[in-house]
Amino acid sequence: MNVLIPFSWLKDYVKTNAGIRDVAKALSEHSFSVEKIIDDDVLEIEVTPNRGDGLSVLGIARELAAVLPVKGFSAEWLKKAFTVKKYSGKDKLKVTISDNSLVPRFSAAVIDKVKVKESPVLIKERLSKVGIRAINNVVDVTNYYMIELGQPMHAFDYDKIAGHEMIVRESKKGEEIVTLDAVKRILPEGVIVIEDGDGRLIDLCGIMGAQNSEVDENTTKVLLFVQVYDPVRIRKSSMSLGHRTEAALRFEKGVDFESVIPSLQTAVGMLTELSGGEVSSELIDLTGTVYTKKHIKIDYEKINKIAGTVIKKDFVNATLSSLGFVIKGNDVYVPSWRYDDIEIIEDLAEEVIRIYGYQKLPNELPGGTLPHHAKMGTFALEDKAKDFLKHMGFFECYNYSAVPGSMAGHGALKVKNPLNADLEFLRVSLTPKLLDVLNKNKGYSETVKLFELSSVYLSKKGDLPDQPYMLGMTVRGVDFLVFKGIVEALFEELRVAGDFGFEITEHPGGVLSCELPFDKLVDAAGGGRVYSPLTGFNSIKEDITIIVGDATSFSEIISAVSNTDVRVNKVGFKDMYEDALTLSIEFLDRAKQITSEETKVIRDGIIKNLDSKYGIKLKA
Amino acid sequence: MKLDIESIKSEAKEMLEKSGEPGSLAEWYSKYLGKKGILRTLTSDVSDLAVEEKKELGRKVNELKSYLEEAYAGILNSVTSIKKDKPLENFYKTLPGKKPEIGHLHLITQAIREINEVFSKLGFIRVRYPEVEWDYYSFEALNMPKTHPARDEWETFFIDLPEDPKLGKVVITPHTSNGQIREMLKGDLPIRMLNISRCGRRQSDINHVPTFYQFEGLVIDKNISITHLKGVLEYLIYNFFGKDTKFRLRPYDFRFTEPSFEVDVTCGICGGKGCRFCKEGWVELGGAGMVHPNVLRAGGIDPDVYSGFAFGWGVERVLMMRTGLKIDDIRYLFENNLKFLEQF
Repeated sequence: MNVLIPFSWLKDYVKTNAGIRDVAKALSEHSFSVEKIIDDDVLEIEVTPNRGDGLSVLGIARELAAVLPVKGFSAEWLKKAFTVKKYSGKDKLKVTISDNSLVPRFSAAVIDKVKVKESPVLIKERLSKVGIRAINNVVDVTNYYMIELGQPMHAFDYDKIAGHEMIVRESKKGEEIVTLDAVKRILPEGVIVIEDGDGRLIDLCGIMGAQNSEVDENTTKVLLFVQVYDPVRIRKSSMSLGHRTEAALRFEKGVDFESVIPSLQTAVGMLTELSGGEVSSELIDLTGTVYTKKHIKIDYEKINKIAGTVIKKDFVNATLSSLGFVIKGNDVYVPSWRYDDIEIIEDLAEEVIRIYGYQKLPNELPGGTLPHHAKMGTFALEDKAKDFLKHMGFFECYNYSAVPGSMAGHGALKVKNPLNADLEFLRVSLTPKLLDVLNKNKGYSETVKLFELSSVYLSKKGDLPDQPYMLGMTVRGVDFLVFKGIVEALFEELRVAGDFGFEITEHPGGVLSCELPFDKLVDAAGGGRVYSPLTGFNSIKEDITIIVGDATSFSEIISAVSNTDVRVNKVGFKDMYEDALTLSIEFLDRAKQITSEETKVIRDGIIKNLDSKYGIKLKA
Repeated sequence: MKLDIESIKSEAKEMLEKSGEPGSLAEWYSKYLGKKGILRTLTSDVSDLAVEEKKELGRKVNELKSYLEEAYAGILNSVTSIKKDKPLENFYKTLPGKKPEIGHLHLITQAIREINEVFSKLGFIRVRYPEVEWDYYSFEALNMPKTHPARDEWETFFIDLPEDPKLGKVVITPHTSNGQIREMLKGDLPIRMLNISRCGRRQSDINHVPTFYQFEGLVIDKNISITHLKGVLEYLIYNFFGKDTKFRLRPYDFRFTEPSFEVDVTCGICGGKGCRFCKEGWVELGGAGMVHPNVLRAGGIDPDVYSGFAFGWGVERVLMMRTGLKIDDIRYLFENNLKFLEQF
């Protein structure tokens, strides 16, 4: 979450010789990232979610006090310690809290004889710098201290609270409230609300007040209100209502429970001064939760081990103290504003090392033993396959993991919360999307070749889906045998051993596709090479043309030809015209020079063999 | 009869290569293949021989015949084509070559290769873990309990499958950090892992895609400290972005690391001076940190003995930053418009 913090406001807390750019740099490198400097005064700061304490002028000032001296600048803390004052008065508030976990701390005070009017210029200016519109002195005071102290506050018109009674409870489903922005909100179950003596809802706690109890120009009695709410409920409610207010964003990150009373009294002090009012009640302070002081055992050696360098004990102690930690012996006590964030020694190490400066740590490559290498096959083969296909003229595609229902295929898993209807199912095959890509690129060229190497997701009972890597190839304008040849050549390139079956599917428009299980291809790949000794004898090459029928396959013919005689060294496809198949045959005798008389005998054997097995005859 | 076929061959070849002009080519023809040429003479010589010798020599003569004929045909072809093109010979050579049709590897593949190359030299081993994953590995074991608000930052896709009592829901992993736990649970130390994998988040705009790639580095050993993370980053940034690029670690917050950092590099556009594309001269590269002791424990590793660091960044983002490619809409990477793909 980003906050706007004026440098001029920070100077109320810290006196320094650093300029705004020095401050921005120091914060970015040691605390929070300063995203922007606006009008040479306002810092836009990204505060990480664990650091709710940083969402205020006070919080940023605390960081500056610790960080600036490390950067060689002065930093003098200007604010004095706060002492709690006693209040008295006749105005009462009857409070019932249905469940202490809703409001760990509840504080309030009534101020009478308030004159509602415009705020002074300084307050209006500061609010405007942080993007808040000034309304009147009462509302402005609550906003002013939310920014300065990080404590969201609310002001009620005391006389609009029926029976001066508050019941803090969780909402029932369907209850209604009209908030200060004049929006009627219908509540889900479990939102923290306040009901008054007439059973009306008068506050959407921690998010926004209700219109029925708001301060207006006729208000004379103000109930000033500072609480700590359950962060989880505030977050859930504000999200489900779609109403993310500055207050809610602070409450859900956790506010400092020990600063509740100081904040309330500071605001009361300012309000009485600006409005001419006076306190007319006792200080109401109900604590439902007891916070025990949290402490962590200091371990200087561990801090050095994490840093990888020696940070002196004195520096560690001084840094922790400057951030508000209290060191007693071996124990480091966590300040209340860091209560939710600091748990273990590693957290303390982070505090120390970030202030010391990550920049100052040396850069070293890790030494030690190298890890054991597993078999490296898959990725190397992927690269090989991709390069091969690229050189064969293919475009590599990357598609989303999810597809629309029309491309899902049988058994596809459903996405519970898809982004849109096009991404409803996890794909079980790469082909449908590749066909779609082909179709979308119709005008590109007559010949288009595409591939994608990605996983698909196959449902498996009681477990994660199987997620095998597939190689999908889709082509247009490529001859069937040429495409088949590319696949076969790929197998050769990957040295796939044995007979790796694959299927080419024909689609309308001269489109062909083939999808191979790449994991299985990897298992079959990298076959050993076999060396056949070279021979000094020449081979004789001859072509024969035979008439084939549709009932026999090419591989059957090839094995019939090869098996006729050991001297048939190679048989290859040469040509096919109508039903006439031309084979090129290489004859080789490894023991002596083969003669044309011998090849004639073998050839006759081949023809006889083909005839007796398949009724295949030589072309006349 | 003795016959040195090989020497005839080499002599013929030599003469042929010297015959630059058609005139000398004719001379060659009549010497070897003409009516009174060497071949004819040999053929008639052979016919006079006894049966046994005839067979052996006949084969040799036949071989010589086809050699000479092919050689002649070859030279004749080249001579005539040169002759035909001669008037524009110089121009012809300036024409573009006839390129074989070569396709294109996707930008993401190219980026993954570059990243892998840098890390493999440091002994990192590339791995890949499930893309559709249990909540436990993607969140819970990474020190993110079920109700933790940090989970909201990952716009997670859920799969319509029954919940496992121990491992929770099935999600599309929103980051490669699920690989941290899975790698640790292999029980093989030390670890230098590079997990490059597909992830998914419920987002789609000019800067975000629902499917994207991340690479995750994880190093675990005894005595691993921030200095080692800085050393590896320095090596990566020097090799990937060039020696003029500087980097810095900034404090940040992630649940699965402690301390946590954001890594910035100097802006490639202004060179670190500060411009409208960067923050005071710096550009965010991604998150990193020292592995949280709870994460080590979830991976079965004793945090009192071992420590480590991890980082996980977007492949597409790092690629854009390195190449300075200003792709105006990152979704183009997954649209597969061939006019886009052909540019890389």
